[in-house]
Amino acid sequence: MTLDLSALETSYADFDFGPVDLTVDREVLAVLGPSGSGKSTMLSLVAGITTPDSGSITLDGRELVGRPPEDRNVGIVFQEGALFPHMTARENVAYAGASDDRVTELAAMLELGDVLDRRPPTLSGGERQRVALARTLAADPDALLLDEPLSSLDAPIRRRLRDELHDLFTSLDVPVLYVTHDQRTATALGDRVAIVRDGTIEQVGSPSTVLDRPANRFVARFTGNENLFEGRVVERTADGARVRVGGTTLRAAVSGDAGSDGDESVATGSTVTVSVHPSRVELGAPDGATRTGSDATRAGTDAARANALTGTVARWLHEGTDYRIEVEVGDGIGFTTTVRPPTFDRLGVDRGVELAVSVPPEAVHLIPRSAER
Amino acid sequence: MATRTDHGRMGSVDWLSVALVLGGLLVVYYVAPLASLVLSASPGAVASRLGESSVRSAATTSLLSASITTVVATAFGLPLAYWLARAETRWKTVVLGFVVLPLVLPPTVGGVVLLTVVGPNTLVGDWAAAAGVPLTRSLAGVVLAQTFVASPFVVVTAKAAFESVDETLEYASRSLGKGRWTTARNVTLPLAGPGILAGVTLAFARSIGEFGATMMLSYYPRTMPVEIWVSFVSLGLDAAYPVAILLVVISVAALLVLNTVARNPWR
Repeated sequence: MTLDLSALETSYADFDFGPVDLTVDREVLAVLGPSGSGKSTMLSLVAGITTPDSGSITLDGRELVGRPPEDRNVGIVFQEGALFPHMTARENVAYAGASDDRVTELAAMLELGDVLDRRPPTLSGGERQRVALARTLAADPDALLLDEPLSSLDAPIRRRLRDELHDLFTSLDVPVLYVTHDQRTATALGDRVAIVRDGTIEQVGSPSTVLDRPANRFVARFTGNENLFEGRVVERTADGARVRVGGTTLRAAVSGDAGSDGDESVATGSTVTVSVHPSRVELGAPDGATRTGSDATRAGTDAARANALTGTVARWLHEGTDYRIEVEVGDGIGFTTTVRPPTFDRLGVDRGVELAVSVPPEAVHLIPRSAER
Repeated sequence: MATRTDHGRMGSVDWLSVALVLGGLLVVYYVAPLASLVLSASPGAVASRLGESSVRSAATTSLLSASITTVVATAFGLPLAYWLARAETRWKTVVLGFVVLPLVLPPTVGGVVLLTVVGPNTLVGDWAAAAGVPLTRSLAGVVLAQTFVASPFVVVTAKAAFESVDETLEYASRSLGKGRWTTARNVTLPLAGPGILAGVTLAFARSIGEFGATMMLSYYPRTMPVEIWVSFVSLGLDAAYPVAILLVVISVAALLVLNTVARNPWR
């Protein structure tokens, strides 16, 4: 079962979608993007709610464009559930014609046993979404589309449903398109993540690929990466590069394999965006072994060794479970990272405190100028 | 200690009470004539007048024609209302304009324009008369006049009712394999039902009360409003009271329907 979008385009008065090419196998593809980026339009096109101007959508080789929604066998779970308010939860789930046994089975799977005889307006947000999902699954869809089904829920219930959904989606064995604007949901649920902007796809890849090797600044920012610096490649070797950012030189491991976000087009002398995901920046005590000063090039030429820098804490913020810390390692470079409270306490973080900053070369990702738009 | 209520504050005007006084006068203006009407006719006189064959026949004509009109207006009005609520075309505005026209057109003018199409010596009128269904001075004429004037109520009210049903619900139904018609029957109509019923009730009430266009198209058989007019001009005001009271009772019944079953319980 493969869902295939090909050269898909549609336009509204003030918005152009596409062209989009996308292939979804038996996997969860999380579609991540800001509001108004065309995520929901993509689902509408696949579900048959919107008609494309051009392009094709095939499901298992069957052309969907031109078929009405009822003739596609594509299940869609809407943002607020879109449950039929005049029917009980049970009637909603059974709407597509599922047998009593199937309804009972779905209710057990989604823990709906005690709400089946209630009407949607009396259900909580989480219950509504689970009923909506059960109703869609009861129709045995060949592809499943979900439009931010968790966005209106409180954080605890959202986390719990997120965990449950991942196993459920995997067990379905059909293409799943999961639209969200929340990076955590996207990377937690998606086998792959597609980043959407202005109606087109900026990057598709595994969660770790889009997090660690963003195709451009937009992808980096939208996946929570603030560590983006303007740099110049001073040396390019077979498997690495040295890049000058402000007064600091960083070593970057450059993978040569094709399709790895254009690293191979990074040439000596070119201007690049240096991206380092916050989760890959490590902080340590300043008197540790990594203390080598801000000029990392003197620490050695071994590409496998981490960039060892020293910086001072510019600001920090308590974000509930983590501390977000910005450490300045030289003019123009302020690394942001998050640490857990024990680390925070151990390092005695406060404004102006000196810390060792360690960045592995694999975490230093270079984005060529040509990737920006 | 001054209490912090609007009433207790010195020198301030209680505008809510002013609004009530002004609006209250209007309400009195609505209620007083009705009370006066009921009081001005003795129950005995009303009962005996209602027993007269002319009154009974007028009541029968009115109830029968208004019922037929309501069915016709609903049968043709609901599809139009659904189309107006769901279609995506600029022509909707134009069509809606034509639908609303009979609402703003003076009913007698409505009667005039209808006569130019179905009246004597017109193509349709002669053809229908030849076929044994005269479209003027007949029950069919009454229904035509009432439909022209009353059916827009079904269309306009049902359109609003359909529009109040979230289109996402229809798409949810269709994505579950149900076609447009099944979706309309299972989802849209039940949810729009109370609003549609309000439109149907309004159309019925308007049909019962239709006078202007009916006079032009079908003076006979007399409906209740026509009977009131005839009684008034030939026998005087007193003779018009009983039928008027009957019409008031029917109108109040329609109002009751509007305020009970015709309310949307899911809002």
